[in-house]
Amino acid sequence: MNYFFSDWYYLSIRFIKQIWRPWLALIPALIFPIFFFWVGTQAFASVAQVPGFPTESYLLFIAPLAIFTAIFFGAGNAGIELVVDISSGYFNKLVIMPINKLAIIFGKLTEVAVQATLQGLLVLILLVLFTDARPSTGVLGIIAMFAMIVLFAMAWSNISMIFALQTKNPRLVQSLFIIVFPFLYITTGQMPRALMPEPFHTLVTLNPVTYIIEGARALMLSSWGDPAILKGFLVSIIMFIALTSVTLYSFRKILK
Amino acid sequence: MRLDNDRRVEKMPGREMKNNIIEVKNLKKVYKKDIRAVDGITFSIQEGEFFGFLGPNGAGKTTTIKLLVNLVKKTDGSVKLDGFEVSEQPNEIYKRIGLAMQEVGLDETATAREMMQLHGRLYHMQKQEIDDQIKKLLELVELERVADRYVVTYSGGMRRRFDLALSLLHNPRVLFLDEPTTGLDPHARRLIWNHLRALNKGGMTIFFTTHSMGEAEALCERIAIIDKGKIITEGSPKNLIKQYEVENLEEVFLKVTGHSFQESELNLNATDPYVRIRTT
Repeated sequence: MNYFFSDWYYLSIRFIKQIWRPWLALIPALIFPIFFFWVGTQAFASVAQVPGFPTESYLLFIAPLAIFTAIFFGAGNAGIELVVDISSGYFNKLVIMPINKLAIIFGKLTEVAVQATLQGLLVLILLVLFTDARPSTGVLGIIAMFAMIVLFAMAWSNISMIFALQTKNPRLVQSLFIIVFPFLYITTGQMPRALMPEPFHTLVTLNPVTYIIEGARALMLSSWGDPAILKGFLVSIIMFIALTSVTLYSFRKILK
Repeated sequence: MRLDNDRRVEKMPGREMKNNIIEVKNLKKVYKKDIRAVDGITFSIQEGEFFGFLGPNGAGKTTTIKLLVNLVKKTDGSVKLDGFEVSEQPNEIYKRIGLAMQEVGLDETATAREMMQLHGRLYHMQKQEIDDQIKKLLELVELERVADRYVVTYSGGMRRRFDLALSLLHNPRVLFLDEPTTGLDPHARRLIWNHLRALNKGGMTIFFTTHSMGEAEALCERIAIIDKGKIITEGSPKNLIKQYEVENLEEVFLKVTGHSFQESELNLNATDPYVRIRTT
């Protein structure tokens, strides 16, 4: 444990540098959420006029999804970078150092947190500059929203890391990107539950992403007393603990 | 080059020069489907020795190195390095070893200097010590002028040389090299040979695998030949040539393995790619 924090720190710095190396890799992760947000608000703006829609502005309704999408897209990179290290042989170099090996996984999670915060902040700044979206819970609400979403991004990044550690197959880990879409779109991100057909209700209820988006939306549109906030935090925390435990188990297995 | 190998590592009480720094007893590694990659090998290496570990493809050389540095878990037997059981006190082992494998695993998103700084920090060295080592080692492998370039831009030879420098950063007592000159041009190969000789002269123990019998003859004081997971002969190149009554080490190799390189590569044609990986 002596050197755990310094090992974690130096490995985190290495992983964080990978976010913008090469810097071109940042572009899709930033452009696509903005693109989806723009298409969503332009194409479905009139949805807010439908009876039963909870807000007058579709833009405000969809804003948490825009931030979440930006963060969600980058969360899978942790596994891709890990599998590249494994297949290139660099991972072996790290393993035979007198370091606390858990620092490797915690370093990756730190990278995800930094990347998620930066991407989310960028989208938030664009929202504030170019729209009338203003979180009803103020600055504290923004901090709480980021804490919830970033924690979930870290939890989500574990999925790609688990596959990286279990399969060591770059192509498989890369292909996991596709599972983002059902989780992202079978939610109440774009449409309130009341306006969805019945069969979707069950799927939306089972999807953990729903609770994060509803929690973030509550911080954006509602007040601190909204139970969706607590639910969002609970889902983030449970997912983080559960998936990080599986990652650490897979990691210990690969070291044996 | 004089290497101060004892500076960062506690010496074992009562250890004298020319003691065995590596002691391997009945070491086994058996993978699934009863693939015996290493099948009960026993050997020892003295401190400061330049030891060659030869064998056909798939004979068990790389697996043996991985067992010696605790990269794979042994099935049975014992490996002691500087008196420490490798699987029981891995961190003591990691402080004492340097490793450069066949696949030169580098961080493609970093510069050479950044990688060395990171490795220095992870070996818990002081900043000044890291900077001094970076300067010295990059000069040694003639890469000081490209130290701030991303390693992804390096040629194959530059990557090998940098990998060697990286493995020496923390002044290891034992250097493990898995075919370090494969694919290099004669100039780069000679350069690496000269570095290795200098390191060995400075007191470093070198465990070295190669397919080049000429290389083994030129560098190694003692060699062991492994085939199908078992050590089939061991001794100095000169003595082995004499013992098998042949002209050179290549003839010793062919005589003791009893087959050509092509035949020995049969397991590389296994249909299951994981079997292929495991058996090499």
